[in-house]
Amino acid sequence: MRIPRTFGQYVAVDSPVHRLDAKTKMGLVAAYTVGLFTVERFVGLGIAAALIFLVMLVACVPSRLALRGIRAVAMILTFTVLAHALRWNPATESLLRLGPIAVDAGGLRTGLFFAARIMLLVVGTSLLTLTTTPVQLTDGLERLMRPLSRFGFPAGDVAMMLTVALRFIPTTAEEADKIIVAQMARGARFDEGGLLRRARAYVPVLIPLFVNLFRRADELAVAMESRCYHGGPGRTRLTPARMLMRDWAVLCCGTAALVALGIFA
Amino acid sequence: MSKNSLTTRSERVRLIAEIGLSIALAVVLGMMKVWQMPQGGEISLAMLPLLVLSFRRGILPGLLAGALYGVLDAQLNPFVVHWVQYILDYPLAYAVVGLAGVTAAQLRASVGRSGLTVGLIAGGTALGAVARYAAHVVSGAVFFGEYAPAGQPVVLYSAGYNSFVLVSAVACAAAAIAIVPVLSRVVPVRKEILAP
Repeated sequence: MRIPRTFGQYVAVDSPVHRLDAKTKMGLVAAYTVGLFTVERFVGLGIAAALIFLVMLVACVPSRLALRGIRAVAMILTFTVLAHALRWNPATESLLRLGPIAVDAGGLRTGLFFAARIMLLVVGTSLLTLTTTPVQLTDGLERLMRPLSRFGFPAGDVAMMLTVALRFIPTTAEEADKIIVAQMARGARFDEGGLLRRARAYVPVLIPLFVNLFRRADELAVAMESRCYHGGPGRTRLTPARMLMRDWAVLCCGTAALVALGIFA
Repeated sequence: MSKNSLTTRSERVRLIAEIGLSIALAVVLGMMKVWQMPQGGEISLAMLPLLVLSFRRGILPGLLAGALYGVLDAQLNPFVVHWVQYILDYPLAYAVVGLAGVTAAQLRASVGRSGLTVGLIAGGTALGAVARYAAHVVSGAVFFGEYAPAGQPVVLYSAGYNSFVLVSAVACAAAAIAIVPVLSRVVPVRKEILAP
């Protein structure tokens, strides 16, 4: 079994979008998501698609990568369209009829609208991860959560947990792959029997995976402490990220455009 | 600096590392899907690291790890139609899995009594899974009721659709029963770092 690794898909190129601060991009993605959910007509989705295409061009991100996320939700999209479009023996006039199953024009339109909205949402949010490193993302998240520190919320610790998680997803996936292959070489079968039998077959994979995980956590904690990481407030950075004038300009113009999209389309 | 504050600092860093790595493993196990539901959701062992962490560390670290995993899962498998549905189906649904940690203290005290250990793990998993199931059922009934077949009550439809959580929970409980005793022997939690 190969474990898919679609996470952490940062594309390392120098573009105006890559140079923007993570907070700016996160703010724009939030405004884009809200805008998409307030859009009620196809023309609005068309404008959103044009905006996304423009960002993809400016960001120099291969469209193949940006559109890859759609493949992962293909089944959801198909189901959304079919669930809205198909009717069982309807009394009203239909677009197409195959025995008792009929395709309803209004339902098909609604299904396509929802499916297009999901596709645009997936592509838009993946542009954030394609143009921002996981470390920049968690750094941006920490700065966004910083006001909550006044109320005792451990913003720095939470950001570090996310950084550790993002950093170790590929390592953990690789380790799981190795253990699965090693157990298969010893004759383990993971694709036979019912759910409980399959779960039991995974136990020889899961036990070393968990033991290694908690041992690694110990080692990682020692390594972090040796580098004087102590968590909590007062953590400094070698290159602190800041919102520049261009960030504010892009954030304000982008948000205004997306608000207008939500209101008028 | 006192020895006590050094220990606290050291254990805080250890807890951060454990939570971060547990989330990473949950993401990886979430990618190994046994079954994918058409409108989001899958049968997988993604809950397992969150349950194991809750059994080792208690409720609060479990809640936090679950909420953060939910945020990452929303990026990996987004199916969002409303912000309330986002909270119910992602951060909240996974955060409440951490309620399994309610049995953490008894689990530590049950070393050597395998029957009690199995019962506590099964009970904790059931509590966390049922809480997650409830979050998904509410979300399904409110936001996905339109998908219910004509004449079927939306709550019943949502309860049936989201039963994948309970199937996952059975698999996770079976795996946790095998894993938790081994971990408490091989990589035990130090007593002074136990969270509430």
